[in-house]
Amino acid sequence: MRMTRRAFVQAAVPMLAAPRPASTARAELTVAQCVDRIRAAVGTWREKTVDGFKAGDPSVALTGIAVTVAARLENLRKAASAGCNLVITQEPVFYGANDDPGNRASDAVYLAKKAYIEQAKLVVWRFSDHWSARQPDPRVAALAETLGWQDGPGADNIYRIPETSVSSLTALVSQRLGLRGGMRTTGPADMRVRTVLVSPGTTDLASTVARLKGADVVLAGEPREWEVVPYVLDAREAGAAKALISVGRLVSEEPGMRACAAWIRTLVPGMKVEALPVSDPFWNAAS
Amino acid sequence: MTAQDIVARIQQQLASQKITWRTETVDTFKAGDPATPIGGIATTGMATFSVLKRAAKANRNFVITHEPTFYNHQDQTAALAQDATYEAKQRFITDHRLVVWRFHDHAHALRPDPLVVGSARALGWTAHASATEPRIYNVPATTLGALAADIARRLKGRAIRVAGDPSMNVTRVALGPGYGVPALTTSVDVVVGGEASESGGNSEYLADAVAAGQAKGVILLGHMLSEDFGMFEVAEWLRRFLTDLPVEWISAGEPFS
Repeated sequence: MRMTRRAFVQAAVPMLAAPRPASTARAELTVAQCVDRIRAAVGTWREKTVDGFKAGDPSVALTGIAVTVAARLENLRKAASAGCNLVITQEPVFYGANDDPGNRASDAVYLAKKAYIEQAKLVVWRFSDHWSARQPDPRVAALAETLGWQDGPGADNIYRIPETSVSSLTALVSQRLGLRGGMRTTGPADMRVRTVLVSPGTTDLASTVARLKGADVVLAGEPREWEVVPYVLDAREAGAAKALISVGRLVSEEPGMRACAAWIRTLVPGMKVEALPVSDPFWNAAS
Repeated sequence: MTAQDIVARIQQQLASQKITWRTETVDTFKAGDPATPIGGIATTGMATFSVLKRAAKANRNFVITHEPTFYNHQDQTAALAQDATYEAKQRFITDHRLVVWRFHDHAHALRPDPLVVGSARALGWTAHASATEPRIYNVPATTLGALAADIARRLKGRAIRVAGDPSMNVTRVALGPGYGVPALTTSVDVVVGGEASESGGNSEYLADAVAAGQAKGVILLGHMLSEDFGMFEVAEWLRRFLTDLPVEWISAGEPFS
């Protein structure tokens, strides 16, 4: 089975199918070996992690790498047509935190996605826990860079920005991140802002409570509406000038995965590495 | 009557409706002294600082909240001990002799679930409820765009998020309160709920369904626009057996501007 798949991929990719000396590392590199390189560059690998292979046969020859925040069917198709057979995703591919389809195991959409991965001979590898745990957090720097902020991160992922208002800041964030309905804010439009706590992904309570003391605004990915959101509301009621700008989990992690693609490029020189974008999935009901 | 007496009456009422009090539950006193004499009751989706101020002003010193008071599901406060916001909220509760109690697990155990009933009523969907399938609503044929606009108007929602093609046809909707947004499947057109993670669920499924040629939609009302109205239903339920005290719903409201 493995030989058949490998033969298929080599037939489909003429460059790799051409005879090469055994010492040519690139032709020899399998998907599994590529992932081993990434794991080696990460350092210590956790015993318990969501990161790992989610679909496909890692023993096939690597043709190219597509890096994305979410391995949606649309992005799997883009990866395949770009000649990339390894898809590296931050978020799950099969609708559950551990990629367990659960009740959707016999669902037509799940089955269509699974069938496409098999037919296109893709390998999907999840890279979330270890990417997000790198220090300093590459997602923070990448998000800030997209917003044009250079003065930071100070301690606690706080950036100093040219003084502005909440409404001007919201407009900047919306425009730079291509936001539609995913943008939600709490706090008065005319509040002055000099410092921003950059908190992509899951914006958790403990770090926000600790760090918001030193920042005017928290730029959040996915703040829980019974945690950070009411905390900021109550901070205002208690007399503190604080605001929250929430942009959505995927949008907040998108610049980070572009940075991830750039980092992976340095690990496999000469290999094609594509960053596949995911845009704000939401529109506003009132608009 | 003290807050503790009122909770005992609620537990009796639940028992008469065949709902056993759970040994493990988040439905406990969160702040204030349970022995405090009570002048009135306020129900709310969330005991935010703003809700507490309005409750104190209206002399509703027993606040029954669906969601946490101190920003986490278990209302653990150790990590908040030195926090100025937490301290100010606690001080306000003490100074105004408020008592805060949570009614979450056992509220959802009522049949029908008042949190679902309240959402459906606010959306104008009560008559569309499926007779056989819980949480399913067969709405008059519409589009996702028209449905979303109608919802935004009815709930006065500023930050209701919608995913999917606005022109898609909609008749079959699944509705779930709070964080219990129903799973999008091939058997419903649209799911409507409060709040959901974009990771590991409907967000990815919707994108894949669209790519596979199926029209699907997700409408996220926000946690409060999804459960606040349910606590209005809970106020109605309390009035049936707590006839000797004023019971008022105080809206926590949408947190986003």
